[in-house]
Amino acid sequence: MPDELLHLENIKKYFGLRGGVPWRQAQAVKAVDDVSFVVRKGETVGLVGESGSGKSTLARVATRLLDPTAGRVEIGGVDVTKVSGRKLRPVRRKVQMVFQDPQASLNPRQSVGTILTTPFRAQGIRPTKIQLVELLEQVGLSAEHLDRYPHEFSGGQRQRIGIARALSVQPELLVCDEPVSALDVSIQAQVLNLLADLRDELGLSYVLVAHDLAVVRQVASRIAVMYLGTIVEEGPAAEVYDHPAHPYTRALLSAVPVPEPGAVRDRIVLTGDVPTPISPPSGCPFRTRCYKAEDICSTKRLVLEAVAGSNEHKAACYLPEI
Amino acid sequence: MARPVLEVHDLHVTFRTDGGLVPAVDGIDFAVAAGETLAIVGESGSGKSVSSAAVMGLLPGNADVTGEVLLDGRDLVGLPSDELRKVRGNDIALVFQDALSALNPYYSVGWQVAEAYRLHHGKSRDASKKEAQRQAVRMLDLVGIPDAARRANSYPHEFSGGMRQRVVIAMALVNNPKVLIADEPTTALDVTVQAQIMRLLEDVQEEFGTALVLISHDLGVVAEVADDVLVMYAGRAAERGTVRDLFHRAAHPYSLGLLGAMPRVDVPPKPRLTTIPGSPPSPGSISTGCPFQPRCAYTERVGERCITERPELTPRPGEGDHEAACHLGRRPSDA
Repeated sequence: MPDELLHLENIKKYFGLRGGVPWRQAQAVKAVDDVSFVVRKGETVGLVGESGSGKSTLARVATRLLDPTAGRVEIGGVDVTKVSGRKLRPVRRKVQMVFQDPQASLNPRQSVGTILTTPFRAQGIRPTKIQLVELLEQVGLSAEHLDRYPHEFSGGQRQRIGIARALSVQPELLVCDEPVSALDVSIQAQVLNLLADLRDELGLSYVLVAHDLAVVRQVASRIAVMYLGTIVEEGPAAEVYDHPAHPYTRALLSAVPVPEPGAVRDRIVLTGDVPTPISPPSGCPFRTRCYKAEDICSTKRLVLEAVAGSNEHKAACYLPEI
Repeated sequence: MARPVLEVHDLHVTFRTDGGLVPAVDGIDFAVAAGETLAIVGESGSGKSVSSAAVMGLLPGNADVTGEVLLDGRDLVGLPSDELRKVRGNDIALVFQDALSALNPYYSVGWQVAEAYRLHHGKSRDASKKEAQRQAVRMLDLVGIPDAARRANSYPHEFSGGMRQRVVIAMALVNNPKVLIADEPTTALDVTVQAQIMRLLEDVQEEFGTALVLISHDLGVVAEVADDVLVMYAGRAAERGTVRDLFHRAAHPYSLGLLGAMPRVDVPPKPRLTTIPGSPPSPGSISTGCPFQPRCAYTERVGERCITERPELTPRPGEGDHEAACHLGRRPSDA
C-alpha cells in the first residue's frame, strides 16, 4: 500500500549464545519470533510489553540498527532488508530514532550545535545556523543553547535535544524507544505534549516503544502488545484499552495502578515469571501464566486473527475474551 | 489516628560538600501508626529518599541531620552507631529500589535472610544456625518464593527481578520490624510484577501490623495503598493529608500539577496533559520565598509574598488534618 511507511514481514531476530564448550549445542535467544507489523502515514503506534518482550529489539530492526535473522523490512515501499553501510543513508532520512536515555545517547564532548550538525553531514548537507536554531525552537529550546554541552541541561531538555537531532533530516517516521521513562512525571508530560505537537505540525508518524501503558494511551492511535517475542494483540488504541481480547493484555491493563483512591478494580495478578526466550513454551507463549489456559493452548502457535466484530482489532488466542 | 510508632519532627539534612552546604531536607514532619501506610511522593531531588535514609541513620559522614526521629518514643538521631545497629533491621527496616545491589552475589539468598535474623538474635539461645535457617525458609515461603526450602540455596543471579525483590522483603521482615520503609520498591519492576509485590506488601502489613512508609513517584501506586500522603518539593513539605485529600481536594498547585501531568490508563486520553513549566530547582539554589514559585501558575494572584516569604504547612479549614504550604488560601481550582 502506498501510505505504508514501515512494513515488517515475518521478522525474526535471534541472538546467538555461545555454547561455551564445543559439545554443548549453541542456543539462541529468540528476542523477536515471527512478527509482522505495519505503520501507516500519520499513525502513532504504541509498542507495549514488559522487559524481555522484544519490543526494543523490534524497534531496532525497524530502524535497521539491527539486522533481522529472517524476514523483510520495507521502508516507504522499498525493501531495505539487505541494504547496509552507506547505502542505508537515504533510509535514515526517512526513519530516525529517539533513545531512552538522552544522557547516554548524546556525546558529552560535543556541543549541541555539533550534535545537531552530525546527521546533516551524514547526508552530505552543511546546515546553516538558522536551520539549527529552527530545530531547537521546534523542540522548545532556543539559539542560546547551541553552544552548550549536554551536561548543562536537565533530563527533559536533553531528551528535547535528542528529538531535535532526530528531526534534523526531516524524517517521516520517528521510532521512540522509551522516550519518557527516565523522566519525572511533570517533565514526562512536557515531552509527551511536544511529541503530539510535532505530529500535528510536521505530519510525523511514530512508533512509540514503552512499558508504561498510560503513557502509550495518551499518544497512540494504534497499539501492539508484545509478549515473549511475538505480538499477541493489536488494534486501534481505544478498542484494545477498553476491550482487551487477549488474556495477557487484560492482565497487563488490570495491573496498572490508577490514581483514584478506593477505585474497585478486578485485578488479574499473574503468577510466576516470563519464561526464558531461549526455549519458549510450545503453542501459545503466554499459556504458562494464563488464567484461562486449556490443553488446546499448548498445541499450536496461533497467528493474529480478527476479533469478533472488528477487522482492525486482532488477537492471537484460542480463548479470547470477546 | 492511632498512636504513631514512627514520628519525625522538624527533620533537616544538610550535606557538607566542596561547593558549600547543600540543604537536601529542610524541616519535614511526618508520623505513621501501626498497620498504616504513609506515602511520601515527590520527584527527583525532592529529598524523599534522603529523608528515609536519615530516618534509618544511613547517610554518609558529610550529612548533618537535626530534628527528631522517634521510634516508639525513642529518638534515633544522634544515637551511637552500635545502638543504631540494634534498631536497624530489628525495629525498622528498609527495602530499596534496586534489589540486585541490596543482595550480596556471593551468598545464597537463604544465608542472607538467615544472617539478618542471626544478627539480631545473636545472644539468645534459639539463634542457632539451624533456627536462623528455618526462619529464613519460613520468610522466603511467606513472601511467595516457590519451593522455598530448596530455593534458599540459590544465589541472587538465579532469580528474576521480582523474585529478588521478594528476597529483599523477606530479609527486611525476618525480625518482624515495627516500621518498614520501602523506597521505590517496584520502580525497577514490570507492572505485572509490581502488582504482585504491592499485594505482598499489603498482605504482610495486614499479618504483622507493620507501619509502612512508601516512597514513590507513582501516584497510581500511592492511590492504591496509602492511607496518608506527604508531597515533597525541593526538600520541603508541599502538602499533607489523607490519600483522599490529595486526590480529591489537592490544595497545593504542585500537587495539582502532578495529578494533571499523569497520563491515565483507565480513561480516554485528554487532548493535552497539563504540564508544570520548567524543572525542579537544584538543592541549594532555593531563595527565600516559596520553592515552587518560579514554576507556579498562581503566583501572580498572590503577588510579592510568594517571593519574599516561605509558606509553612497550614491546616485547610474544615478539612481535618489536611495541610498545604501555599500562600494561596483558596483551592487553586476555585481561585
